[in-house]
Amino acid sequence: MKQKDENLDQSAHIAEFLSAIKTKSDRLANYFIFTFFAFGLFLATFYDTWQIAVGVGGLLLVAYFSAKMTLADSDFYQYVLSAVLGIFMAQFIYQMHGLFEMHFTAFLSSAILITYQKWKLQIPLLIIVIVHHALFAYMQYSGVGGIYFTQLDHMSLQTFIFHIVLVAAIFSVCGLWAYQFKKYSEMHIDLIFKKKEIENMELKRANYELDHFVYSASHDLRAPLNSMLGLIEIAKDETEEEHTLEYLEALKGNAERLDTFICDILDYSRNLRTDVSNDLISYKELLNDIEQNLKFMGDNSRSVDFITAIRGDSPVFSDKSRLNNILNNLISNAIRYQDTEKKNPFVKIEIDILEDETHIVISDNGIGIPEESLPKIYDMFYRASNKAVGSGLGLYIAKEALNKLGGQIKVTSKVGEGTAFYIQIPNRQIIKI
Amino acid sequence: MEAASQKTFYKKVLVVDDNPTDRFIAKKMIEKCSFAQETILCESAQQALEYLRALEDEPDALPDFIFLDISMPGMDGYEFLEQYATFPEVIKAKCIILMLTTSLHPDDIERAQSNPLVIRFINKPISRDKLEMISNDFPAEN
Repeated sequence: MKQKDENLDQSAHIAEFLSAIKTKSDRLANYFIFTFFAFGLFLATFYDTWQIAVGVGGLLLVAYFSAKMTLADSDFYQYVLSAVLGIFMAQFIYQMHGLFEMHFTAFLSSAILITYQKWKLQIPLLIIVIVHHALFAYMQYSGVGGIYFTQLDHMSLQTFIFHIVLVAAIFSVCGLWAYQFKKYSEMHIDLIFKKKEIENMELKRANYELDHFVYSASHDLRAPLNSMLGLIEIAKDETEEEHTLEYLEALKGNAERLDTFICDILDYSRNLRTDVSNDLISYKELLNDIEQNLKFMGDNSRSVDFITAIRGDSPVFSDKSRLNNILNNLISNAIRYQDTEKKNPFVKIEIDILEDETHIVISDNGIGIPEESLPKIYDMFYRASNKAVGSGLGLYIAKEALNKLGGQIKVTSKVGEGTAFYIQIPNRQIIKI
Repeated sequence: MEAASQKTFYKKVLVVDDNPTDRFIAKKMIEKCSFAQETILCESAQQALEYLRALEDEPDALPDFIFLDISMPGMDGYEFLEQYATFPEVIKAKCIILMLTTSLHPDDIERAQSNPLVIRFINKPISRDKLEMISNDFPAEN
């Protein structure tokens, strides 16, 4: 999938490059073709060939631009250009009554066509030059009047063949350059992409290694911490001594705080380094898991009522791990900052699954957030209250994760009444059956 | 203690963990909550496999629960499960495997949950609440 994307990216890049060449070449071709027309008018002053200059030259302009306009998507007009340039040469030779130097315009045309980086464009020009030369030379020496192919009284077959072979050689060389330029451009693009690919791979590897390190480190930090928490539980169970119980409680609080902090750092790293995945989401399951997990959170003396409502049943795709993280952070905050004055602490989770997006409202009757703190709650390490333990990373991470999912979050809160978070997440992909 | 007066739920729990502190915590907690009559401690997966294999002919002596740690030196929890999967049905039918871990790695959680032998994934440390939840969800037969 990834590989395919990159290939697509590369061919898109080549296409873009080629279209840039085309645009630039088209502009140059416009200049040249008008200059050729103007040159024809200039030549008309010598032998009074105005009719030819305006008639033939004008027809050639019309032929080129009408081909370009009617067949804009194909590159046919470029072949028309090639033919038009060949006919201009014939026109100039005629206008100057066979002046030998007028034959050189064929070389000029051939060189102009290199800009498109297509060797095939030389072919129409070559055919016209050969046909024109053969036909007109034959007619002039057969005694047909007013052909004006050459000023030479006599042209041997040998001279004629030299003439044609030289033309063919020059056209071939110009075709070769066009081909070389194109190959070179493609090679260059290829090289850039290969380099980018290698860099990407290295970056991915480094990312993976760092991710792995963060996981291992967090595991190794948490394992002894959790053993300590287990021992604290046992110690608490085995003593009645009030002071000891108090110390153990404080110890437990601090160990939990450390544990939360380690988990938050892990979440932060994970959000930063992993790609957004596309999982089929069951909000019911997700909320169940979170409820199970948070059951054992902090102070178990008071349980907070979980009220959940899920409306809409269209299948939803999103990143499960990030979604879990976002909901977990917001719900655990609701539990952590519950109002001990109130009789029935609750956290209410309402989920509305619409066609393109999902709306989630998480509200509680907790202690609330002071108005002046509201703008800062998503800041890294910001903590609005000292009443409970927290790393100050939770909402920051939730918002960052939500950003990755393309979602938005809003909050309303009143001290002493409660807090409500409004989340809006686009559904990544809907499978229609 | 008041916990001791409660009814004992299960006969036997097998704890597989390389960390002596965690084994101690598991044993203590199981005793305090009267979760099981007997707690067998194994410090390695090999030892646990040997213990289970030896009981093949007396299924009644098999543990009701196996608390299995994931990360252990040598053979880890997953390798234990691979070996365990080849065991006779008698053994597998009797034991409920719960994975105990500190890991938060989504791959770990996924791997444990996708293994049909693993009934549940529980975060350390074992606490009174978690044991209560287990006994609520898996009522003892007798």
